[in-house]
Order: sequence, then structure tokens, then C-alpha cells
Amino acid sequence: MLGVTVAILMVLVFASVPVAAVLGVLGLSLDAIYFDGRLAPAIGEITWDKSKEFILVAVPMFILLGEIMLRAGIAQRMYNAVAQWLSFLPGGLMHANIGSCAIFAATSGSSVATAATIGTVAYPEIAKRGYNESLFLGTLAAGGTLGILIPPSINLILYGLITDTSVPELYLAGIFPGMILAGLFMAMIVVACLFRPKWGGTKVETNWALRIRVLPDLLPPIALFVVVVGSIYAGVATPTEAASIGVVFALILAAWNKSLSFKMLRDAFEGTMRTTATIMLIILAAIFLNTVLGFIGLTQALAAFIDGLGLTPMQTILIVVLFYLLLGMVMETLSMMLTTVPLMFPIVTALGFDGVWFGILITVLMETALITPPIGINLYVVHGIRGGGRFNDVSIGAVPFVGAMILMIAVLIVFPDVALWLPSQFY
Amino acid sequence: MENLYLRIHALFDRVARVAVWAGGASLLVCAIMVTGDVISRKWFGFTISGSDEISGYAFAASTTWAYSYCLLHRANIRIDALYNLLPNLLKAVLDVVGLLLLFGVMVMLTDRAIDVLSETLINESTANSTLQTPLWIPQGLWLGGLILFCLTLAFVSLFALLFLLRGNLPMVRRAAGVLSIEEEIDEETHGMGSRLSKPDGRT
Repeated sequence: MLGVTVAILMVLVFASVPVAAVLGVLGLSLDAIYFDGRLAPAIGEITWDKSKEFILVAVPMFILLGEIMLRAGIAQRMYNAVAQWLSFLPGGLMHANIGSCAIFAATSGSSVATAATIGTVAYPEIAKRGYNESLFLGTLAAGGTLGILIPPSINLILYGLITDTSVPELYLAGIFPGMILAGLFMAMIVVACLFRPKWGGTKVETNWALRIRVLPDLLPPIALFVVVVGSIYAGVATPTEAASIGVVFALILAAWNKSLSFKMLRDAFEGTMRTTATIMLIILAAIFLNTVLGFIGLTQALAAFIDGLGLTPMQTILIVVLFYLLLGMVMETLSMMLTTVPLMFPIVTALGFDGVWFGILITVLMETALITPPIGINLYVVHGIRGGGRFNDVSIGAVPFVGAMILMIAVLIVFPDVALWLPSQFY
Repeated sequence: MENLYLRIHALFDRVARVAVWAGGASLLVCAIMVTGDVISRKWFGFTISGSDEISGYAFAASTTWAYSYCLLHRANIRIDALYNLLPNLLKAVLDVVGLLLLFGVMVMLTDRAIDVLSETLINESTANSTLQTPLWIPQGLWLGGLILFCLTLAFVSLFALLFLLRGNLPMVRRAAGVLSIEEEIDEETHGMGSRLSKPDGRT
């Protein structure tokens, strides 16, 4: 059964069949082979029930929130404000890239959106201040990945959904690792620029009066973060409600900045529905597949197979990490998560690992996948902003940050409390 | 035939675009409703029940109505690691095969969705909630989107297959190919780059 499943999956995936159809066809064939096709008639009922689920409404709401924030015109001012505070470090504005990405990530659930927004604002500075282009682009690609680790994160919602893990707990668990990872990125920049000072560009002129004056520009994203994430932990709102409040808040912010217009809303709607529908088609197919996998006992078969290998839990988790690092090079992150996590999760938790912790580990692995070539969408996003040059420049610039992520993975494995301490204070 | 394809494509695209705007707008309305619900619950001690239920329906319907838009803009996620290494003819064959498989799965789902709706109509089912929504309304809207998607799939698959049989590979690619990286970035960030790069005059 295991062999048949993997074989069908591999053939369909490498034949580049749309991922939703891959999961649908796999689910229907497994049902036909091992369950006499008894589940197929229920596909309509299952899909309708999941399609209207209120917890899932958080997905389009967070996407809509991000789309409005992108167009609300706060990125430039925020970037300049962060630059005033962080550019004294060796590496100058590259620290502002990481810092701005971290702050923007706290208002957006998407890594692509984060890299695109901050990248567009920061890119002109390379030529203006003579930075090492490769490293500078690397900071943007890597900083952008923080979008899925720092809450609100769309990936964490989806992880919570397919594994029945609490989304608020996952959000709390993501905060410290997100901050530590941002710190590791900045440490990499400092180290690089201590070795090669000329990579760090010319200094940004700053003084305390200026620093104080730009502080209000940081308020909108921070206020949004407090409203959205705060309302979840104050017990006032569920994640879906918090996302809805965030949408209204972002709308007010856009109106305040005079960026609200009919065209802007229309663009935001198109972007939102495009992303939502693409993701939902895959999620609904994945939910059906999971139902089939549960009924035919494939998950147990896989767990028994892993058990038979006689590995220690630590060896198993290292193999899992290696598996995702390799798979992440060639596979798009969201489909990678939706196809593999339903199988991995029961195995990993049966070995005694915490489900919330595994969610954070998977997310950091997804971040790595976003900046490892040949398929690393954030590399392409940043390369796209540049509009020319060699793609390898971006890939090479991202290498130190892949190192930082692997370090972060090691930290998570050795000190799981980095992720788990904060949620343990609330739950 | 190319012209015919483009004309029908434009027609579908117009319908899909309006559906996407309506879907987005209804989600925005839901966000405002849910926010109002949370505020009144927190500060005024009463709940306007039903905003969660309605958002669920709006979400289900707006999603199915957006599938066609995704297909017409070739937004379906495909793993192209091996695909990119293949010669154009093989790529075109895979494009058509992938579409036909998606078409098959969606026809099957839509067929079952029709069962869901007809059962609702026979039993005159209402939601088990304070609103007691007659379920045929949201289910009908949901099914409508699925049917539009099946029609769009039928149209794109048919023309992609015809183009393939005639050896018109560029048109197969245009109808059903995987987006190139440049096209993808453009779709994902549309309208945004130009707006953000505008200097806003402050430091």
C-alpha cells in the first residue's frame, strides 16, 4: 500500500499535474483500490462541510489583510524609520531590511508579500549607497521568509487545520523563534561586514532628534499587530475574528494614508481571491485525501514502517529535517506542506515530540525552502524586483541566511522551549 | 481557431473577473460584520448572532466562483522541477494531461455537489442555527461556482487538446502551460510595485 501510494504520488507530481488534481486523483484511486470506492460518494458532503467552516475563513481574511496593507502606503515610511534605528550596525541598511521584514511580517501572513513589499522599497538603496548587491538581495529574500514564522501566518493556520493543533498556540510559539531568527540574520550581516567592510555601503546619516521624530511611522504596523494578535490572547476574538478586525483596521489605515480607492480595492480583491482559490482547491483535495488515508490505514502502515527501521527519535527527526531540506529545493512550499505533513505529523508526535513544536520546525524548514535554489520563490521575487542581472547573485547572497536557518533548526531541536515556553505561559 | 479561442477566453475572463470582485467585496462585508459582532459582544454585552455562519457561506461561494479566474490566469500550482527540463512537445502533452485530470476530478466533485443540493431541496433542510438559513441558497451559490469552473475547464481543455493535435505548441502553452517565473511574479504582485516605488517625500 505504501509503495503504491508513493508511486502514484511521484508519477503525478513529476508529470506536473496541478497539485489539487494530484491529491484528488490519489485520494480517489486509493479509495477505489483499498476501500471499494466507498468514500467517493461522500466527496460532495465532505467538501461542503469544510468549505464553509468558520476557522478556515481566517485564510482569506489574512490574505485580504495583507493585500490591503501592501497597498496602504505604509512600507516606505516604516522602512525609513527602521533605517534610522538599525543602520548604525556594520552592514547599515541591510539591518533595516531584516528589521522591516520582521515588522511587516507581524502584519502579514505571507513571505512572498513581505519580500516583495520591503524589497521594492529597499532595492534603490543598493546603487545609492554602494552595497554589495548579492548580500543585500540575500537579506531581502531571507528577511521576507519571516512572514510565515512571525504571526499572523497563513502557513501556521493551515498547519493547525490539517493537524488539529491550536492556531493561537502556534502563533505564540512562533514569536520567539521569529525574533531569534531575525537576530541570527543580523548577526550574519555583521560577521560578513566585519570581514569585508566595503560590503556594508556608505553610512546613513542619523541623530537622536531624527530617530525620535520618525517613531510615529512605526505605529501603524505595531498597532495592527497588537490589535490582531492581542485580541486573540485577550480572549476577545478567535483567529478568524481577529483577522476580520485586522482587515477593518487596515482599511482605516489605508483611508488615513489616502491610498484607499476603488481601483486599489479591486486589485486587492483580485489578489485575495486568486490566492485564496488556489490554496483552497488544494486544501479541500488534501482534506479528502486525509480522510481516505485514515480509512485505509496508510498512516499506521507508515508509522509501522518507520518503527521497523529501529531509529532513535532524534535520528528520525534529523532524517525528517534532511528530507525537508532536500524536498524544499525542488518543491513549492505550500504544496510540500499540505502533501507531507498529514503523514509526518502522526509519526513525529508518536515519537513523543510536541505538535506545536513540530509546527514551528516545519515552518522554519519551509522558510529554508523559500530561499534554496532551484525552486525558491523568494529568490525569484527579489530577482524580479531587480529586473535583470544573474539569478545566481541572489542565490549566493542568500547562502549565509540558509546557514542561519539551519542554526535555528539546531536551536529548536536542542532547546524546544525556545518555541514552547511562551505558549506554556498561556495554556 | 486562435481567434475563436481568444474571444471565448475574453468572455469567460469577464465573467470570472466580476465573480472575483463580488467574492472579494462579500468577504470585506463579512469582515466588517464580524468586527461589529466582536465589538458589540465585548463592549455592549450583546451578540449579533449569525455573522460567523454568513461568513462561512460567503467564503464557500466566493472560493468556488474564483476557481475559473485562477484557471484562466494559469494560477494552479504545479510542480515544475522536472517539467522545466523537458522538450516543448512533452511539456504541451503534460499540460493537456494535467488539465484533463483536473477536469475529471472537478466533474466528479460537481456531480456529488449536485447530489448535496438536491437532497437539501427534497428535505427542505435548514441550518441547525439561530438563523435557520434555508441551505439551498448558500449551497446553490457554491454549486454555481463549481459549474462555472467545470465549463471553464471544459473550454480550456478542449482548445488545449485541439491546439496540441494541430501541433500549435505556443498556443497550448498560452492556454495551459506553467507560468514562467516572470509571469508569476507579475501576477502575484500586480499593481503593487509601481505604487510602492513612489517616493512619498518624507524621511
